[in-house]
Amino acid sequence: MASSDHQGNKDPTNTDGTPSPGTSCPVHSHAAEEAKRNSLRKALVRHRDYVKISVPEGKGNRLPSEWWKTFIALFYAVLNLVLTTVIITVVHERVPPKESSPPLPDKFFDYIDRVQWAFTVTEVNGMVLVSIWSIQLLFHRYKAIIARRYFFLLGTLYMYRCITMYVTTLPVPGMHMVCAPKLQGDSQAKLQRVLQLLSGGGLSITGSHLLCGDFLYSGHTVILTLTYLFLKEYSPRSFWWYHLLCWLTAAVGAVCILVAHEHYSVDVVVAYFITTRLFYWYHTMANLQTLKCSPNNYLTHTWWNPVFNFFERNIQTQVPCSFCWPITWPPACLKNPCKKYSMVQ
Amino acid sequence: MNKVASWSEEEVSLWLTDQGLQEYSEPLRNYDGPALLSLTTDDFKRSPLSRVMSDGGRLLLEKIETLKIEHHIDVHKNGHANGHMVLNHNGNAGSAGKAHRNGVVNGFHKELVQIPIPEPSSPQFPPEWGKTAVALVYALCCFVLTTVIISVVHERVPPKEASPPLPDKFFDFFDRVEWAFTICEINGMILIVLWIIQLSLLKHKSIVGRRFFFIVGTLYLYRCITMYITTLPVPGMHFKCSPKLYGDWESQMRRVMKMIAGGGLTITGSHNMCGDYLYSGHTVMLTLTYLFTKEYSPRRFWWYHWGCWALCAIGVFCILLAHDHYTIDVAVAYFITTRLFWWYHTMANQQALKETSQTNFFTHVWWYRFFRYLESNVLAVVPRSYQKPFSWRSLHWGHVKYTRIDSD
Repeated sequence: MASSDHQGNKDPTNTDGTPSPGTSCPVHSHAAEEAKRNSLRKALVRHRDYVKISVPEGKGNRLPSEWWKTFIALFYAVLNLVLTTVIITVVHERVPPKESSPPLPDKFFDYIDRVQWAFTVTEVNGMVLVSIWSIQLLFHRYKAIIARRYFFLLGTLYMYRCITMYVTTLPVPGMHMVCAPKLQGDSQAKLQRVLQLLSGGGLSITGSHLLCGDFLYSGHTVILTLTYLFLKEYSPRSFWWYHLLCWLTAAVGAVCILVAHEHYSVDVVVAYFITTRLFYWYHTMANLQTLKCSPNNYLTHTWWNPVFNFFERNIQTQVPCSFCWPITWPPACLKNPCKKYSMVQ
Repeated sequence: MNKVASWSEEEVSLWLTDQGLQEYSEPLRNYDGPALLSLTTDDFKRSPLSRVMSDGGRLLLEKIETLKIEHHIDVHKNGHANGHMVLNHNGNAGSAGKAHRNGVVNGFHKELVQIPIPEPSSPQFPPEWGKTAVALVYALCCFVLTTVIISVVHERVPPKEASPPLPDKFFDFFDRVEWAFTICEINGMILIVLWIIQLSLLKHKSIVGRRFFFIVGTLYLYRCITMYITTLPVPGMHFKCSPKLYGDWESQMRRVMKMIAGGGLTITGSHNMCGDYLYSGHTVMLTLTYLFTKEYSPRRFWWYHWGCWALCAIGVFCILLAHDHYTIDVAVAYFITTRLFWWYHTMANQQALKETSQTNFFTHVWWYRFFRYLESNVLAVVPRSYQKPFSWRSLHWGHVKYTRIDSD
């Protein structure tokens, strides 16, 4: 009976390679079904005249909210952001002075001279994208699940960034950069810098980013790219103008980083690559149920696979695009299908 | 139905048309019933029958077999339903009642139900050496491009006096060991030799070879890009970079040739050029050959896998120990190699991922079309089966244990 319940929930597009139900698959656990059956059995003992008709589980809840997992992901992201800030402060002490270690040769810088206000454009674009994304997230019906994914990916990308920043320190990309003086060993002042950086969000606009050395890879590119990818993925497919605008905003932002000579080209390229690959990987694993249990899936070789299983274990289908009012006022969650039902869906 | 043995030529022709085989009517126009029944496969090897259909007459012969069975049942009227019943000469068949001419006893029907037997499926792993050749050409192009880019970048490396080595955490902890890079290159060569031997022993070497060439080519292509756009300074003062040739194309071409001939290794003395730091080609080769040797060797050879892993790990460690690359070069190389390998193989092993769809982001990579071209006819996981490379009989002497996962 457990297996028939199990099959009722499985995604119909079943391809080769799925092991038989009941084997150690992290997704389909039988604990919940067991509990239900036990309580039902107890009830039946009291009423022996009932005939039990086993109805397959049906829709159940294929997209449970599980806000506590979202909070864990948020905590993970905040932890990584703080760690990044600490590492920036540490690395700052090791950046070679620009007189002794001049900026490295960069192809983009050879062709395009520095434009001073370009970095402001980047940061404004970034802030616009993040605010639009926050609004979109707020109005999405399954905000718990999506927010969880966003925080997890952001946290992981920043963690990778910590590693790359720390192991090798690149010199400043341009002589125009003003780096705060080094505090050799003054811990309290360092802590103050960390707090200042955190409170300003690491943006130059807010005047909190005076530290150098965090070049490989570019955090601004990560935010721009990741927010754009999420905006595109979790909005209606027919809003092509919206997607195009967001794409332009992100692209202009990334190019302006280079125009402002604030990062090397390789920083931006590597950041784009890592962000897109991680996003695609995570979402393909999350959307194709067959992949979660397939033995031919090399995607499970990543270190974050157990964390992924923890977050996405109970999500049994692709998150549909539906929006509702954020404050759950009783008649408020209008199930507003924003995609035409076509043969593809 | 009349007995086939008594058919005339017209009836044969009518029957052929009835069965949808009217193309045979012309060559078989002089065949009557018995002649039809006596057709064999040899007749279909000669013209004119060999030219009608390409299946060697199989379809027609099957239908004739069906006819023969009906003919046979006709002859043994009561015979087959409950074993061979002895016919009473008087025509009374005892307890079974009146014998029917068609041999129907106890409701046995004469109409035959044709059970379609599926054709043996075409081999799932066509070699397609042409595609492997394309992948090989692609890999060679990427290698040559890398060499050209290295020689271009070499001109732009800042001199080590002007731009000292960048601070690196590993270098802070470990001082330079001079002979370490030789170890790395020896390990690399051992791994490559092992991989070549393993590849030549694989049964589906064309498919696996294709995959290797494609992944290696793409990794070197990415490397070209990262090397070119930003030039890192030399990681240590011990580097002896060749002098710069400002615009002297001939000498640069000679350098490129020398590097290709030596395989880019320092042992062979071909690698005197600086600037190719982000990311490390040595790490790519070590990691990739390890991944491939592990993937396409039997699961139970754990000692072999551990040996290769040790070779790879020691090789990578020695790159850093020799202060020949920054730590970031090695880390990025490892990351990109493993991700590309896993991505490619997951896509290749799951049919669901080969199709573009809303949920499948894997197809958003730029090399998806090329991947489809290479892997379109590989419909299942390539099994690990081995054979002697140059034998005229392919023996499966490396038997794979049949487990649930291995499917051969």
